[in-house]
Amino acid sequence: MAARLLCSLSANHEDNITCPAGRPAVKIRKAVITAAGRNQRNLPLQTLVDRDGQSKSALTILLEEVLQAGIEEIGVVICPGDQGAFAAGAGPYANRVQFIEQAAPLGYGHAVACARKFTGDESFMLLVGDHLYVSKNKDSCARQLLEIASAEACAVSAVQATHESKLPYYGAVGARRLPGRAGLYQVDRVLEKPTPTVAEQKLIVPGLRAGHYLCFFGMHVLTSGIMDILQQLVATAGEAGGVHLADALIKVAESERYLACELQGRRYDIGVQYGLLTAQLALALHGKDRDEVLTLLLELLAQT
Amino acid sequence: MPGQLVQIITSPDPAVRNQSLDAFCHAATLPDLLVECAELERFRRRSENLYERVRALFFLYAIHRFHLPLKPGMGTQTLIPFNGYTHLLERRFEEAIAAFLKVQNRDGPSDPVSSALAVTYYRLAIQTLANQVRSSVRSVRGNQWMFRMGHPADHPLRIRREMLRTGEDGSYPILRERTPVRMDLTHCGWSDIFFLGMDYPEGAKVLNVSIDLGVHGRDTGTRPPVETYLRVIDEPLLRLTSVDLGATADITSLADVFDFAKDYLGLLKAAIIASGIVPPGVEGSGQSLADLLACVAGAGRGLELVSCVNGIPKGSRLAVSTNLLASMISLCMRATGQAASLQGALQEDERRLVLARAILGEWLGGSGGGWQDSGGVWPGIKLIEGVLAAEGDSEFGISRGRLMPQHRILDATEASPAARRKLQDSLVLVHGGMAQNVGPILEMVTEKYLLRSGAGWQARSGMLVILDEILSALRHEDVAALGGATTRNFSGPIQTIIPWATNLFTETIIQRVQGEFGKNFLGFWMLGGMSGGGMGFIFDAAHKVKGQTRLQELMSQTKRELEHALPFAMEPVVYDFAINEQGTWADMLHGPAALLPLGYYALIMPQLLRQEAYKLPPLRRTELDKFGAACRAKPELRGMVQTLFDRLLPRLKTDNAGEASLPALLERYGFDRTQHEQIRADLKGGRIGLAQNRLPISTQIQNVTDGDVFDATRELSKEYRDAGLAALKAGEVAVVTLAAGAGSRWTQGAGTVKALHPFCKLGGRHRTFLETHLAKSRRIGKLAGHPLAHIITTSYVSHQPTEEFLAREKFYGYDGPLFLSEGRSVGLRLIPMERDLRFMWEELPQQILDEQAQKVRDSLRHALIEWAKQAGEGSDYTDNVPLQCLHPVGHWFEIPNLLRNGTLARLLKERPHLKHLMLHNIDTVGADVDPATLGLHLKLGGCLSFEVITRRIEDRGGGLARVNGKARLVEGLAMPREEDEFALSYYNSNTCWIDVEKMLAAFQLTRADLADANKVTDAVRTLALKLPTYVTLKDVKKRWGHGQEDIFPVAQFEKLWTDMTALPEINCQYIAVPRLRGQQLKDQSHLDGWLRDGSAAYVESLCEWK
Repeated sequence: MAARLLCSLSANHEDNITCPAGRPAVKIRKAVITAAGRNQRNLPLQTLVDRDGQSKSALTILLEEVLQAGIEEIGVVICPGDQGAFAAGAGPYANRVQFIEQAAPLGYGHAVACARKFTGDESFMLLVGDHLYVSKNKDSCARQLLEIASAEACAVSAVQATHESKLPYYGAVGARRLPGRAGLYQVDRVLEKPTPTVAEQKLIVPGLRAGHYLCFFGMHVLTSGIMDILQQLVATAGEAGGVHLADALIKVAESERYLACELQGRRYDIGVQYGLLTAQLALALHGKDRDEVLTLLLELLAQT
Repeated sequence: MPGQLVQIITSPDPAVRNQSLDAFCHAATLPDLLVECAELERFRRRSENLYERVRALFFLYAIHRFHLPLKPGMGTQTLIPFNGYTHLLERRFEEAIAAFLKVQNRDGPSDPVSSALAVTYYRLAIQTLANQVRSSVRSVRGNQWMFRMGHPADHPLRIRREMLRTGEDGSYPILRERTPVRMDLTHCGWSDIFFLGMDYPEGAKVLNVSIDLGVHGRDTGTRPPVETYLRVIDEPLLRLTSVDLGATADITSLADVFDFAKDYLGLLKAAIIASGIVPPGVEGSGQSLADLLACVAGAGRGLELVSCVNGIPKGSRLAVSTNLLASMISLCMRATGQAASLQGALQEDERRLVLARAILGEWLGGSGGGWQDSGGVWPGIKLIEGVLAAEGDSEFGISRGRLMPQHRILDATEASPAARRKLQDSLVLVHGGMAQNVGPILEMVTEKYLLRSGAGWQARSGMLVILDEILSALRHEDVAALGGATTRNFSGPIQTIIPWATNLFTETIIQRVQGEFGKNFLGFWMLGGMSGGGMGFIFDAAHKVKGQTRLQELMSQTKRELEHALPFAMEPVVYDFAINEQGTWADMLHGPAALLPLGYYALIMPQLLRQEAYKLPPLRRTELDKFGAACRAKPELRGMVQTLFDRLLPRLKTDNAGEASLPALLERYGFDRTQHEQIRADLKGGRIGLAQNRLPISTQIQNVTDGDVFDATRELSKEYRDAGLAALKAGEVAVVTLAAGAGSRWTQGAGTVKALHPFCKLGGRHRTFLETHLAKSRRIGKLAGHPLAHIITTSYVSHQPTEEFLAREKFYGYDGPLFLSEGRSVGLRLIPMERDLRFMWEELPQQILDEQAQKVRDSLRHALIEWAKQAGEGSDYTDNVPLQCLHPVGHWFEIPNLLRNGTLARLLKERPHLKHLMLHNIDTVGADVDPATLGLHLKLGGCLSFEVITRRIEDRGGGLARVNGKARLVEGLAMPREEDEFALSYYNSNTCWIDVEKMLAAFQLTRADLADANKVTDAVRTLALKLPTYVTLKDVKKRWGHGQEDIFPVAQFEKLWTDMTALPEINCQYIAVPRLRGQQLKDQSHLDGWLRDGSAAYVESLCEWK
């Protein structure tokens, strides 16, 4: 497949930002959030207290992050029968969300492929429903990624340098730094949950600390080309399923300009043990109730 | 011009760089060489290039070992500083060199200090290379993380989900890997040694074939000999089982995973570690194995690893153990997602990683061969070549080549199916049965490569030409040409580089096959490090079947002839083989088919059946059910019931060996039960032991003075020679060769007869020690005008084999009186005391080994101490073949035996003018009845004249000393302090001239008394009581399984002839003789230096061969 640059496929050109390579900047309007994992379908519905002190579902917090970043349309991929619960979980944003059912659990790649009709031939942002993000600067993580993807006019995956002991939980990329572009990498290869044995051979990135690799942040901007690739993978796998997004991203890396970027922020996987607690603490410590929560933590520590 | 050797090392011009050191040194004077040494020393310290440093170190070694000692002006009596020796033992090489150089600078160059410097430079060179390999192994990408991981919580590996999918009965599937072994089609000149490949990648080339095997006549066909199995179990532990070694263990602690020598499961443990399941980084972390396994396989779960090599004997030279290790590593990597391919073949990058991990695993286990050994992982026939290091490689800038070679699998144009078939139809693979230690060979090859001796370097270049010939023969499907090339390789380059690659056994078989098959025998092909184990014989295809049959017979016959001369681990076997075109291959076994190898059940089931069913974990009960069902349904398991019955109800161990049984042997050899029980009681009671061997600490040990020793290191005057010659002509002299010992150190306790060992090619063919000694006597006999009488003392272990061997060899054509003096004393070995083992290993100075090898040795020693405690310290050692349970009781008894068994009386009858005996050790090959030395003995007029030599660092075990003011020989065992020995200039050669009359007087006997057996026995007993009895620990081999050998330390006692010098009533004299005359060959690893330093040529000059 010939390289299909995001710029040429994007339907809307609202900004006049110019890409570094002379490509026109693009506007990304749509986001897909996957929440159909059979073991994680309730995670986005968990309630947390957001940075503003309001109790919200994790899904709502995620939707706010995405909408505030400039996304206009959101598709949430869910299990059949979950729409009612997720509509309730979406709170005030329920009307801006389109729910897409994944009929059979055939893998994460299949879940993304289910949103093909929703994304059409536009580039889109992809997020996982069981992650929350806390930015270290004024712009949310979603906004940071969108700005980079708009400016670079290509597929971009957010990544985070991750210790090798966490490799069993994430996809990872092998990449080269873009000269003069801090935190930006040209992706050469993608591996899903690699062992460190493989990672050491194939995913070494100059400049990272020993034993650290660029692992996915749970947030990507992808071109519509990925849907074609996923479609082929789904067709090949058939009922056996097991379609991984990473397999499609490998082909993206081979056929398109595909970047990875380190964002100023952190991801929190609420699906792991104590993940919800950690995410809650992170939100609280970055929000208006920071002092109160710190006091509570200190008291707790003093009593134990 | 000074610094010429440095120029040879650093020159970019290969013609200069490949110059031979020997050529330069032969022409240089002593001062020239000392200047060059000083420059090399400065150079090796400042150079940052690994190979420049190492080559400089080898140059320094060779100059001090081979060249300086030959130069006029070298001192001989300088003392080696004890502190330098201590540094050397503790591997503080730089400090040792500094200590030795300080003495050299102070006292001038000398033979003793050069010997110390030589060994230190050598070990430092080997250590430097080993460090580099270790560093390279650790820095191979894919291996690095395993050394970073230190806590189970950080474990990044997870067992694949497929391994956790249980069947209907709840059992987990089994992942099975089947791996061929490899044979080296070219013999690569050992160019796959890491050091060599990393310095000379252009010359590191091997044609390596993956093969399936079957034992001819035993197995129904060929199959991949290595099978390994892995499954998840419902217990939080590692269950390791080696079917072939009959060993199984449940490992529950991390410390036990790293305890390699605790049991026979070291290789399995190395695989678990090298595959990253238990990464090397967690060693010593104190963490829980269960926690680590929970991380990898899930809470409460563990892993079971089973290995099996289908009865292929050890020492096959087909790299069975390395391929077994590689197979297990591959299996574990597949199961934990480190290889994409769970089943089927591996991808090329995965194979390369398995190779890197196997190198790591071998290093962890304290061993290591070459990089071609994991060749079975690859399919078919492949050319493996060294690769120049390039930017980005961890070796770049350090060594010229990479640690890891590249593999190119030959396609049909390079080796057509017809060529492969022809090869299979013509080649007979065998295992000759010999037990060999190839470790020293690898070091020799490295040394010789770096020294670039002229012939050796030409041979190495010639091998590359032969490789091309073999490739061409394969391309042209010409097996005859291939056979011709491998034969030339064996007889030419291989033996030029390493003469010890061949031996009498191999050459005899080649000769017999050649004689029998004539032109239908197309060639011989050596496998691996040495011949005698795995070998190949190439026949015309029409004669292969006959070749297989006859080879089996010829090898068995030759083994029978030589089994007392050379160490054999097993009966020779002939293999069937087929080229394996798959390489290593894995499949998953599910449900009823998920069975482990049959040998596993024969090993495990008796243990399970002895337990109450309710105590067994659920999966063990399931296993019982599944195996029971399989036994009922599968025809191939029909014999299993009987096997299990025999295991559950073992037969009473009956002693049906008849005369060969231990009690019968003890009876036959006059075992003194009363004396034995006294010794045992004394040993157990702590009255005797290693510590008690020593003289009291208050004993004053001083070096002898000039007046104590007569210097015969230079040519003696004619007067002595004439006197000696006259005595010879008058028939006053006979030779006594001490040949009763088992030569424990020579073969690590193999129980062969050292006297019969064909140790070296002299005069164009292999010669035994005995033949060599007789050849010297033949020459002296001619000088004397009549044949010299020669006595060979024997013992229970050596008498019959020597008698038969000599008869078969027609007494080597010796035409003089030749007597065998049969031993009359025998001891029964004892399980050692923990106290003595600890004294030997913890109190006495020990050579520390390289880091990982030392760990393995410590682990082994701990296991041996546990063995001694469990077997019963101080109890009789009977758990071996009877002959290995007995021991000779020391060479002191061999002279009294001459009196007791009538040999001396017979000799005196035949040679009534006999007045003197020259007694010498079997391994003092330079000793002869030199007329001048004999004349000196006559002149000195003592009862005993002992020959001594100046000391080198390897001469350990006492020496000539003034003990409390009186000159005498002191055994190393008796030295009050270790450092005392380093104050002594002379070492005992154990060659002793005996005045017969005076000796008889010392026993309070006359010639006439020799006819009175009782009087002689009483006299011997009386004198024996005056001499100390030493307790010693000796290695003894126990053979079992298919070529397996264990070495145990056992306690025995001995009395030594040298202690006669302590008796005040005996007039002893001491003669300092040239080193070439007095040095002993104690260890086979010394042979190469002995051959190169002029010693062998000296011995040849003394011999007259029949």
